[in-house]
Amino acid sequence: MKMEEMSLSGLDNSKLEAIAQEIYADLVEDSCLGFCFEVHRAVKCGYFFLDDTDPDSMKDFEIVDQPGLDIFGQVFNQWKSKECVCPNCSRSIAASRFAPHLEKCLGMGRNSSRIANRRIANSNNMNKSESDQEDNDDINDNDWSYGSEKKAKKRKSDKNPNSPRRSKSLKHKNGELSNSDPFKYNNSTGISYETLGPEELRSLLTTQCGVISEHTKKMCTRSLRCPQHTDEQRRTVRIYFLGPSAVLPEVESSLDNDSFDMTDSQALISRLQWDGSSDLSPSDSGSSKTSENQGWGLGTNSSESRKTKKKKSHLSLVGTASSLGSNKKKKPKPPAPPTPSIYDDIN
Amino acid sequence: MNKDAQMRAAINQKLIETGERERLKELLRAKLIECGWKDQLKAHCKEVIKEKGLEHVTVDDLVAEITPKGRETGFTMLPRLVLNSWGQAVLLPQSSRLLRL
Repeated sequence: MKMEEMSLSGLDNSKLEAIAQEIYADLVEDSCLGFCFEVHRAVKCGYFFLDDTDPDSMKDFEIVDQPGLDIFGQVFNQWKSKECVCPNCSRSIAASRFAPHLEKCLGMGRNSSRIANRRIANSNNMNKSESDQEDNDDINDNDWSYGSEKKAKKRKSDKNPNSPRRSKSLKHKNGELSNSDPFKYNNSTGISYETLGPEELRSLLTTQCGVISEHTKKMCTRSLRCPQHTDEQRRTVRIYFLGPSAVLPEVESSLDNDSFDMTDSQALISRLQWDGSSDLSPSDSGSSKTSENQGWGLGTNSSESRKTKKKKSHLSLVGTASSLGSNKKKKPKPPAPPTPSIYDDIN
Repeated sequence: MNKDAQMRAAINQKLIETGERERLKELLRAKLIECGWKDQLKAHCKEVIKEKGLEHVTVDDLVAEITPKGRETGFTMLPRLVLNSWGQAVLLPQSSRLLRL
């Protein structure tokens, strides 16, 4: 073909480049034209300037670059110190605590329904246990039985042990619940000690705090290191129930740290002579208890004041005290091993 | 000269026939947007329109104002890229194939 000849002969790079350039120019021009048509249509239809903003609103939304503010001009900690008024109870609550408070206050969150269900379950249990003792009529008459009212009061003062934050102590209590008789628990925080026998008392006191609350006259079921009661109180309770020789299960280690002077030893020996009349029943009058407590109070105060972390060498008395005390109560460990170990440490 | 013109015409024709020209046009458009050529032109357009007044703009005006600028910037912005990809990859073999019909 003629064209073929023509093209083949003209096929050198520069010529092709030139042709390519021209074609390219044509294409660019086409694109320009297309672009013009688009713009013209946009202008005529009125949407050409739509993506522009007027200078006033540009100023409003300008990026803020001052220290202490974010780019929108907001202050960082603004809501930390703000307080809101709860519409339900009309208290002023901190903003960050407002949502959980509202959940409890209105009784509509997941946790509040859980607490309510548990309360109902407990009050059902209590009603069942009380039906043997009282007339059913009496219970049915009252919407709130006396015990559950006290329960509510005590729970509020006890910092709501059912909240999810108390998971640690809650687990401990659940373990305890399975061990002990459920009828003696009308509240997960207390036990009525009148119905417990001496053996059960002892076992309870070795594992739980046991301090008797003044409000409800019940023993605390939290751990031996529960922060609401001091060791002093725990010791008082144990002496009240188990006699003056009784010591806290953990006192063994604390006694290791104590340093006993010779003046204290006489007081200790006089206390040890109470061995024969131990196991005071709760029916004993309060006077004997208080006098005993005072005696203990003096002794324990002075001993605790000398508590140090380092081990002292005055442990012979400790050894006798622990060995004598071991007759009367069950210890978590068997009595024999601790005393030789103490001596081993010294020698 | 005649030969060149004829050759050019022939090539063009072949390009159009095979649809290659369309493909190249789309490719070029995409590249121009990528490199910002279109935004530049748009800014220029806005100025022109503001000068002329929004109501009285005609296609001819726009074309007359914009095309030369567009062509210049098109060449400066995409000088080698497209040409090479065409010049060697596209045009040469294609055209030879085309022309060897």
